[in-house]
Amino acid sequence: MPLIEIRDVSVAYGTPTRPVLDRVSLAIEEGEFVCLLGQTGCGKSTLLRLVLGAERPAAGRILVDGRVHHQPDRTRGYVPQKYSLFPDKTVLDNITFGPEVCEFGLAARLTPRFFRRRREFRRQAFEYLQRIGLEPSDAAKYPDQLSGGMQQRVAIAQALITRPRILLMDEAFSALDPGTRKGMQRLIRQLWKDTGATILFVTHNTHEALRLGTRVVVLAKEMPDSGSRVMLDLPVPEPCRDDDIPRLVRRLESASTSSDPLAPASALSEKW
Amino acid sequence: MPAAFLLIHAKPSRAWSVLLSWTLFAAGIGAYFYVSHARHRDNPEDRVMPTIAQMARGMYNAALQPAEEDEATAPPDNFVQRFFGSMLWKDTRASARRFFYSMALLVPAVLLGLHMGLFPYAGSFFLRFILFFDKIVALSLLPILFIAFGIDELAKVMLIVIGVAPTIILDTFNLVRGVPAEQTVKAFTLGAGDFDVAYRVVLKQVMPRILNSIRLNLKSVMLFLFAGEMIASTDGLAFRIALLRRHMGMDVIIPYVLWVALLLFLVDLGMRRLNRMLHPWFRES
Repeated sequence: MPLIEIRDVSVAYGTPTRPVLDRVSLAIEEGEFVCLLGQTGCGKSTLLRLVLGAERPAAGRILVDGRVHHQPDRTRGYVPQKYSLFPDKTVLDNITFGPEVCEFGLAARLTPRFFRRRREFRRQAFEYLQRIGLEPSDAAKYPDQLSGGMQQRVAIAQALITRPRILLMDEAFSALDPGTRKGMQRLIRQLWKDTGATILFVTHNTHEALRLGTRVVVLAKEMPDSGSRVMLDLPVPEPCRDDDIPRLVRRLESASTSSDPLAPASALSEKW
Repeated sequence: MPAAFLLIHAKPSRAWSVLLSWTLFAAGIGAYFYVSHARHRDNPEDRVMPTIAQMARGMYNAALQPAEEDEATAPPDNFVQRFFGSMLWKDTRASARRFFYSMALLVPAVLLGLHMGLFPYAGSFFLRFILFFDKIVALSLLPILFIAFGIDELAKVMLIVIGVAPTIILDTFNLVRGVPAEQTVKAFTLGAGDFDVAYRVVLKQVMPRILNSIRLNLKSVMLFLFAGEMIASTDGLAFRIALLRRHMGMDVIIPYVLWVALLLFLVDLGMRRLNRMLHPWFRES
């Protein structure tokens, strides 16, 4: 049984309703790294929010681990593009937030056991801090004292420390400059290999999708006013050789721009 | 004189800035005493614009002598006791008590706004009613409050709460709604429960803005406090100002007005300091 199963899911917004997704089906096995690729507005983030449970489909079902989830919970970690860290907490408190709320309710935080346990959480947090390449001296900083890349690193550590089986990343590196982005891509690949988590990564950047995923799924509209469908489901050869990339990029881009023959294919392929 | 004098690109030096910022204070005080002096030359009995000496005497009496209605009590002997038995202290304490009661009653208002903003059922239940309630002119309720709660403390505190709470509730509601959805989703994916999200994620990050909103509403709090005290009270700063108006006691009224402004300024400054101390991460934008 696949870990994430998306069955004939349709979504429409607004009045009069504008279809966003049209009978999308997708099965994702445990341990896969799936990149969801598509142009802006094609509904790839919507699909991610459906898997999160933050939104419900108009039709169809989404099963995660064989169950329908009605709200986000700790089986699925989440790293959005922006606002991923709590601005009022230091880096360390951001990372320990997950373990703390998992074990202690609001009242239980006042007991001495909490303070003993917190020492353990903090030790773990420092380990993660090192893994994502931050200095221990960064632990006391607030998020807005960090650069965008550092913030996303902390957000990934924050999501991973609760050991979710699934990690959902929504354009997580899209706001970063090219150099930082490349480093982050290497980091997330490494963490994926180490933890064995299943990752669903939304991006509009073809090169990024090929560089990261074991599988790239292209969402696009067939007609300008219809909902998006899965246009291409492409396993990425492992390892992906550099001279394969141009051919794969062309294939992916022709799939995602099929609805609009006038759009230049290069619009999608911004370089990292 | 540089070409950009008085224009947008002018760069006044630090000394000029400081000097200019105090000019209007100096001009106001100067003009007052010039006119006051002139009036006293024409009519030594003038009561409208007391001189510095008269105001100093008035304030000295206010700060060190008991109020008229308390004169029967035995005069205490040392300076500190005299101050704590004085009219000024009595009035300040009475007003401050009402002020702090009302501030304490704003805490539930903040919590209500938080829950309305986060929990859809609470939002649907309260929002429309509070939007309507917000439009009721609180002062028009004053007679009703006096009839319903009597003319003692409760009516005055209720006036302040009714006047200010809807604004605070709606403001909190909007601030809570303004918290990006990513934040709550992220908290849930980390294993937080609903109340963790409400109190540890959302309330904590809107708190500095709520405190700022309360600071902006201090003026309304004082407005309702003074209205209540002037109309029905036997003590308090506004009661005294209203009472002294009958004998044209400008030598005490003017220092009282300045004293109230000073107190309010200090409360505001204190809240600003507290806000910065409690929320070092917060940048006003």
